[in-house]
Amino acid sequence: MKNARAVIIAIGMIACTKSDTATTDTTAAAPAALHTVAGTRIAFPHAGPVGEWQMPAGDYSSSRYSDLKQITAQNAAELHVSWAFSTGVLRGHEGQPLVIDNTMYIITPYPNVAYALDLTQPGQPLKWKFRPENAQQAIGRACCDVVNRGAAYGDGKIFYNLLDGHTIAVDAKTGRQVWRTKMGDLAKGETITMAPIVVKNKVLVGSSGGEMGVRGWIAALDVATGKQVWRAYNIGPDVDVKVGPRFKPFYAHDRGKDLGATTWPGDTWKTGGGAVWGWLSYDPDLNLVYHGTSNPGPWNQDQRLGDNKWTAAVIARDADTGEMVWVVQISPHDLWDYDAVNENILVDLPIKGRTRKVLVHFDRNGFQYTIDRTTGEILLAEPFVPMNWSDGIDMATGRPRMRPEKMTAEGKLVKDICPSLEGGKNQQPAAFSPQTGLFYVPTNNLCMDFQSRRVTYIAGTPFIGANAPEKGGPGGYRGEFMAWDATTGKKVWGIKEPYPVWGGALVTAGGVVFYGTLDGWFKAADARTGKLLWQFKVGSGVVGNPVAYTGPDGKQYIAIYAGIGGDMGLLIAGDVAANLPYDLRQRGTTLPDLSRWTSWGGYLFVFSL
Amino acid sequence: MKRTSKLNILTISLSFLATTSCSESRAAQVGTDGGDGLRIINHAENLGAGFPVGVTPLEPRNPFEGNKQATTTGAQLFIEYNCIDCHGADGAGAMGPSFQDGRWHFGGSPGAVFESIYQGRPDGMPAWGGRISNDQIWMLTSYVQSLTVSDFSTENFSGETVERTGH
Repeated sequence: MKNARAVIIAIGMIACTKSDTATTDTTAAAPAALHTVAGTRIAFPHAGPVGEWQMPAGDYSSSRYSDLKQITAQNAAELHVSWAFSTGVLRGHEGQPLVIDNTMYIITPYPNVAYALDLTQPGQPLKWKFRPENAQQAIGRACCDVVNRGAAYGDGKIFYNLLDGHTIAVDAKTGRQVWRTKMGDLAKGETITMAPIVVKNKVLVGSSGGEMGVRGWIAALDVATGKQVWRAYNIGPDVDVKVGPRFKPFYAHDRGKDLGATTWPGDTWKTGGGAVWGWLSYDPDLNLVYHGTSNPGPWNQDQRLGDNKWTAAVIARDADTGEMVWVVQISPHDLWDYDAVNENILVDLPIKGRTRKVLVHFDRNGFQYTIDRTTGEILLAEPFVPMNWSDGIDMATGRPRMRPEKMTAEGKLVKDICPSLEGGKNQQPAAFSPQTGLFYVPTNNLCMDFQSRRVTYIAGTPFIGANAPEKGGPGGYRGEFMAWDATTGKKVWGIKEPYPVWGGALVTAGGVVFYGTLDGWFKAADARTGKLLWQFKVGSGVVGNPVAYTGPDGKQYIAIYAGIGGDMGLLIAGDVAANLPYDLRQRGTTLPDLSRWTSWGGYLFVFSL
Repeated sequence: MKRTSKLNILTISLSFLATTSCSESRAAQVGTDGGDGLRIINHAENLGAGFPVGVTPLEPRNPFEGNKQATTTGAQLFIEYNCIDCHGADGAGAMGPSFQDGRWHFGGSPGAVFESIYQGRPDGMPAWGGRISNDQIWMLTSYVQSLTVSDFSTENFSGETVERTGH
């Protein structure tokens, strides 16, 4: 469709004519119609002392909720920069710092330098800096920029993953490496970008490489020694996938022997993807860890006919053994690169008069799922962004009802599929407030054309086999930050953004929600109404996640990375893919004017009243 | 299939020069492309007695230079060997660098591009030498060199766009 390009250009021109400051279009509900969900709670709230941020998402529930309330909807307009820190690296700064015992821990994108900043001293001097060995080849084996989504803390150590496939432990006090374990094989395209979590005496990690024909896995390492305790593959025979007597999937089509291999033609499961590059959650009562799995490989669906279990799935595993307890395959035989690795937020919500233990998952495929986290039953599934590939989820089977005209086939050009392969939401994590009972969700509004072709597996090269140019979705905006009710599957308010919202959310007990944008703004909004309270231009686009902490002076601080990159920045922003900072690139179709608003960066900003 | 019989022709040409043309001045044939080509830095004062001095390598020529069929075949190989999913459709850039922007991180002469493909590059470019034939590497060289669109030194934000694939 020739005029698709014309439309894209038109959108770009409109965005260009906007004033420099008015980049948002608030469509909040009227204050009179304030919507809250009573009787909700975070399943396992804040970890560690109040005022610290000890886990990537603040707690095991992945709520990204802070108890701190000095900063409120009434005073947020007085926020200002308190201090900043240059990370010395210019690639995509996804993830977030940790704050433990008046020390801030920062992990940079490749080369994955770790910094420990002393918050008790004026100017926040370094306690230590750790530069790991990290194979340079990893840069070109990572599909979507050389990001790192942060560290985990436990047993006096900082645990994090290196892009070249190692997991390491660094002494939190001294910065000395305690152990280093090779988990991934770069020669096969395995890199690691995800943030681990610590459960009891284990650190849990997973692989990236869904675009490289890896065979995805999740593993547990001993916190003291780094020795692998268990590793579970997500595809292949039951023994490798850790499907045994405890496996009780809710839906009948997920029951059977060796489905992780028999739902693939021949040996194609061996290069079938199913990586674990997203966020992990943990339920200490059930002792279950929840994780998603990536798209199947290759994208050319004709080369892997079948359900391709257990790719594009949400999985519950025993944290001690890795045994699979239940699974929901969100997108069976995925056609559009809809990974299911987005975060699973563990909350207790009233549904049809009963409080249910659920996980809430905003999937790439555009549906929000509310799932019983004890059984894997889908209680609700509603679209949260413009989408056109499905007529809804069949609640009897949990499978999506597909629209034939959007289904892909080798060689066939399918136009205007929404959402695009970036998904209705990607890695940018949502937050949940028990005060409002609402989820705060950074989303994308993009569509794509898709044409697949035959591809040969060559170890260490992409195993994709499709072209999928993207463009802005309907409505003339390309992202929206929204408040969402997961008991009804309805949007409560939204702030339309000119670009996909690729940074995560933080919501506080002060009733304020924070997020950043690709065009380099960091914003605070009223959690109840969506009213924009404050914004500050941090310069480089935000793809990281805000955190809140209490400083040694007793003040509440909000910290955020500025540093455009990740899949959005890398592929589309234009001038962020090259090795040379002065190397300007022509802009891509999806975000034609983004490079007008931002450029490379690598900063931590800290704000206070 | 591994083709061990096919040695790197650059190695051959370099060793040939080193052993047989040490006394000749090759200055007239030196590539003066400002650093794109392969070269030997000649620190004569540090060389032992008898070591050949004044030797400068020839810039290798693409045997398929000007051959349109080779460029077409190179475009097919670009897809077959998965180059496309790293470097983007039409070399617009994706995981790996763009071929359209006229910027060459490791040199843009035919010999430098050949070497980038043959021996790989440290940021993750795999080494294809010995895995595919040298002729195929030259045809890929022809193709990627044909992709340069223009000088992108300036972006003027007029709203012009170029298609890219994403992951």
